Amino acid sequence: MKILKPILIIAVGYLLLKVGIPFVGSKLHPGTWPVVPTSVLKMYMFFVVAGTLLFSTFSEDGYAGIVGPVADIYTNPKKGLLRFVSIMIVGSLGAYVAYQYVKPTFDAPVELRSIHPAPPSTVKMWGKSYSLQTLKNPLRADKANFAKNVEEGGIVFFQNCFFCHGDRMLGKGPFYQGFNPMPANFVDVGTIAQLTESFVFWRIGTGGPGLPSEATPWLSAMPIWHHLLSEEQIWKVILFLYDYTGHSPRVTAAQAH
Amino acid sequence: MTLTIRRSKFTSRIIFLAALFYVSVSGAAMAAPGNAENGSKIYLKKCWWCHGKEGEADGPAAKFLIPPPRDFSMGVYKYTTAKPGSEVTRDEDLFNMISNGMPGTAMPSWRQVLNEQERWDLVAFIKTLTDMFEDMKDPPEISYGSKVASSPESIEKGKKLFKETKCFECHGELGKGNTMKKLKEDSGHRVWPRNFHKPWTFRGGYTPEAIFARISNGIPNTPMPAHAADKTGNGKLSVEDRWHVVNFVMSLADDERRVKDGENVIKGQQVPQIPKDEKDPVWDSVDGTAFYLVPQIIQKDRFFIPSNDMVYVKVAFTADEIAFLVEVDDRTKSVPGDKIVESLSWDGLSPDGIAVQTPVIIPESSEKPYFGHGDKAHAVSMLYWNSGSVDKGSVSAILTATGTKTREPSDAKSAGFTTSASYDNGTWKVMMKRKMITPNKDKDTQFVVGKYIPVAFANWDGSNGERGSKHTMTTWYWLLLKPETGSEVVAYPAAVFLILVVGQFAFAAMGRRKEN
Repeated sequence: MKILKPILIIAVGYLLLKVGIPFVGSKLHPGTWPVVPTSVLKMYMFFVVAGTLLFSTFSEDGYAGIVGPVADIYTNPKKGLLRFVSIMIVGSLGAYVAYQYVKPTFDAPVELRSIHPAPPSTVKMWGKSYSLQTLKNPLRADKANFAKNVEEGGIVFFQNCFFCHGDRMLGKGPFYQGFNPMPANFVDVGTIAQLTESFVFWRIGTGGPGLPSEATPWLSAMPIWHHLLSEEQIWKVILFLYDYTGHSPRVTAAQAH
Repeated sequence: MTLTIRRSKFTSRIIFLAALFYVSVSGAAMAAPGNAENGSKIYLKKCWWCHGKEGEADGPAAKFLIPPPRDFSMGVYKYTTAKPGSEVTRDEDLFNMISNGMPGTAMPSWRQVLNEQERWDLVAFIKTLTDMFEDMKDPPEISYGSKVASSPESIEKGKKLFKETKCFECHGELGKGNTMKKLKEDSGHRVWPRNFHKPWTFRGGYTPEAIFARISNGIPNTPMPAHAADKTGNGKLSVEDRWHVVNFVMSLADDERRVKDGENVIKGQQVPQIPKDEKDPVWDSVDGTAFYLVPQIIQKDRFFIPSNDMVYVKVAFTADEIAFLVEVDDRTKSVPGDKIVESLSWDGLSPDGIAVQTPVIIPESSEKPYFGHGDKAHAVSMLYWNSGSVDKGSVSAILTATGTKTREPSDAKSAGFTTSASYDNGTWKVMMKRKMITPNKDKDTQFVVGKYIPVAFANWDGSNGERGSKHTMTTWYWLLLKPETGSEVVAYPAAVFLILVVGQFAFAAMGRRKEN
């Protein structure tokens, strides 16, 4: 029964991808079940199947162990019924796969977008040019007025941003459900926690339309904030975001000096 | 003997579990010892932005919100499960509002962010912002009596009571909230009655018990009156009657028109003949899709206080023509010149309007026009309708835009563009029809079958101060005009099956010949 071993390996591989990875993900981010996309799953399974077959047919013995039982089903005169059933099963599987390709669906096309695209080196707002490499939040050094600036940033946030990004900063404001891409979740470690303040300044200032094309600027509902807010208001709201969530901005070597 | 022992063991286990359950449940209900001082710290970090530092509903966000944030200095709460006639709300009501949030308002659920003790601390704190709770005991819960299970008879009784009690004057004949009166909260803010077809927008939740409590206690501070009968059982509605009304209200839920997560493609359906208007029975056989409407908060002048919350869209097409049916639940039929609607409206009366937007060039890659009016490199085509005025009737236009400032008319005649609309009991139905292909290829979308076409919608509620850039809208969704399912759905799998089966038999025969 050597043929069982490769089948078992393939089954375990499938389960690991189908359940194992989402399970690990659900432990890292409770309340989620991050499945492996079907296209990626197919690719991995191709390697699992090919690798397992290569490995188990490597020796003469192994080859015979796998090919033998298969050949037996097709040729053994005593196994006419089994032969008929297995031929029908293989045929039906093929028909099923073909049906999956031609059946009518209304699944929306998959749109991939880069969430944190590379920023430009300079950006123009309010008629001024900013170099994002060296740009710092000018209010961060002002220790005396820090609390006041944070609170003023909070007021800017709650009069402009909270409708989408929400008062819990989870990207779930009163209107978030109507937007795709979803508003950014600032508590999550994947957003402002891994960005520099100059990057956040650029993202707020030029909004959705200021994104490069790999980040689908035509979809984002983020307003072009430099049309609506002053430079100082944006720096204040950035102070507020980091203070409220307890994250620290990343700092580049150029900004540290 | 063994049997008795087993049973007694079983019984004692049940008693133990029941006791445990009682302790845990009553524990939660009594866990009121919140620490107001700690609550105050949480409040000054998370709550004051809307509710104000002193709890007077004057935080920086307050002026952008309808319904407005609660004014804690008044100590009056809208959603109470206290026994009718109680002077204050139960602590548990406050706890639940903080924990669950209120659907359709800016109040989120804080369960994810604050633990149970912190939420009780907040309850303790907000009670100190008013003198209403001084020397007050936590009032007893309302008595739900014996709940009446829903049945056609009960629903029928509830419907009758709905009429007799004149609920329809505010909630509309079909319960869609299309009021006949202009309604205000005590604070002066406008308030629209709930639409019973969308119970998921009920602020206080839509369990039968929540609705029962709402009918009994009314909604303090608003025009919604209490309907509980007095102590002697006289007047208004008895416990049983209130349950009938609950069952009637719950029977109206329309899940078909609820936005479904992940459903972002309109299933355009081929029909033998294009519907002649929005009431054509052909529409009954076409699948609809619901989308959230969000206010235009992106560009000047921004708009924050929408009244309509979703569109429900169907698309039908033939070889020559395409028709959109756009439905919007709108509490008012806003047609300027109509004196009655004028008296209901806020911030002047403008026409109601609907727009459907598609790219002029259907994109081949993921690159699309900007969802708000397109952009310089990517034009969008818009089908527009508004209710016009009593004197001149409705207005419709087919437009082309490359940004909000560059919107110009295309040719309605050569596009065969016509509209037809009607308002019935709280819902606008607007049909927009045009040719699939038009002579103006650089101005109008040329619709094709089988391609995913980006589509977006906008809506104006003219009684809600919506005009110009102040309106609700969607971002891009998809429209797929699905050709009738061809023979390939059967033919391809059948061919694969045949090839595999014949091939395998041939293979088997070959193998046997070899062995022989």
